[in-house]
Amino acid sequence: MTDRFQYPNDREARSAARAKALESLLIEKGIINATTVDTVLKVFETKMGPFNGAKIVARAWVDPAFKQRLVADAPAAIAEMTDLPEGMAGAEGEHMRAVANGEGVHNLVICTLCSCYPWPVLGLPPYWYKDPTFRSRAAREPRAVLKEFGLDVPSATEVKVWDSSAQIRWFVIPERPAGTEGMSESELAALVTPESMMGVAVANAA
Amino acid sequence: MKLQHFLGGLESLGPVSTETRVFVEEWEKRIFGIHTAMMALSSQLPLPATPSAFRTVWTWADLRKGAEAMNPFDYFKFRYYEKWLGGICGYFVANGYITEEELEARTAEYCADPDKPLPQDSATPAAGTTIDQRVERYLMEGDSPKRELDIAPAFKEGDAVQIRNVPSIEHTRLPGFLRNRSGVVETVYPGVYGYLTDTGTDGIGAPMPVYCVRFAVEDLWPGNTEPNVTLYADLYATYVATAA
Repeated sequence: MTDRFQYPNDREARSAARAKALESLLIEKGIINATTVDTVLKVFETKMGPFNGAKIVARAWVDPAFKQRLVADAPAAIAEMTDLPEGMAGAEGEHMRAVANGEGVHNLVICTLCSCYPWPVLGLPPYWYKDPTFRSRAAREPRAVLKEFGLDVPSATEVKVWDSSAQIRWFVIPERPAGTEGMSESELAALVTPESMMGVAVANAA
Repeated sequence: MKLQHFLGGLESLGPVSTETRVFVEEWEKRIFGIHTAMMALSSQLPLPATPSAFRTVWTWADLRKGAEAMNPFDYFKFRYYEKWLGGICGYFVANGYITEEELEARTAEYCADPDKPLPQDSATPAAGTTIDQRVERYLMEGDSPKRELDIAPAFKEGDAVQIRNVPSIEHTRLPGFLRNRSGVVETVYPGVYGYLTDTGTDGIGAPMPVYCVRFAVEDLWPGNTEPNVTLYADLYATYVATAA
């Protein structure tokens, strides 16, 4: 979309200065501390991020009973896992649901009104998810959109689009790729991308 | 009517972005951190008091209202965190925490010297919960909108329903492309759910049931969609009526 509009040459420098000016005023006025923004960012580097979702999906791949429980009651199944950080039912993850791809079904998660995203398991939404063009088009022509991501969903496969407009934050359990039979859970987790857990990609064997 | 309420289904926009980064500029991280701290320090939350001078309410609803109020061309013109930066600066000015003049003056200082460091905290921390502790606690505990009230849902799974065309003014959680359309209740979520603010004639705010409603895309965009696609939307009960 950028080509359609004119932007000043100092677009980014000016925004950077304005953001820094705001942060510095908020610190001076005692609204936040000098460490607060870094504290927030650290949570998304260490506790809330797609590294959690990848572990959850890998567990679902190796344990079909866990996968069933994850689809039936995602928070309860996630709470069973002992190798995840605290906060898995925290901000933007208070009510999560998982949908599983499988034979004849491909799921795609969108948010046409804003950018609802399951923070504890996926962290923060990538730019493609927040883009108004994606949000507009994915509702009406998901197959065309997925093609632009390089994903050709066969016409016999149903595409289920989940629009997050209320309290639920959705994520997708992609299919386990072929040729990964001998892999450990942590090797499998490395194959799971944020895009595959939102449905604009599938998980591929490395 | 606001274009931002009717994005779903809008045509002729060109290719999608496949940018997988969360932040494309370093400054975007800072405004995200400020927004999240504001949500955590927001006065309506049942969290321990801190020495923060933040005394008002800031939730997703405030951020969304700002984005929905934008000129629709600007909405497409500005990147995600540019919109946040504009909305959050405007909030702090409108609520008297800072003035536009001091923000402009400080911005000019950082334009002239981008590497000038941020200030240190002005006061030594008092005893009790710190600002950062409350921020972390908010992130770890969240802010569930689920309420323990005995309100029976009007519909059950499998019921045919029609989506209302409520008079939304400032803010809504009803996607425009679903208004007046027919669907089938896929899931009745257990419990009832409030919303972050009262949206007035739009109808959400007080706790109410929420449904996942299934729509055939051919009913949403007759002759102008793709085969073998089903769309599901989570909708507050006030948006959902008996099928005509």
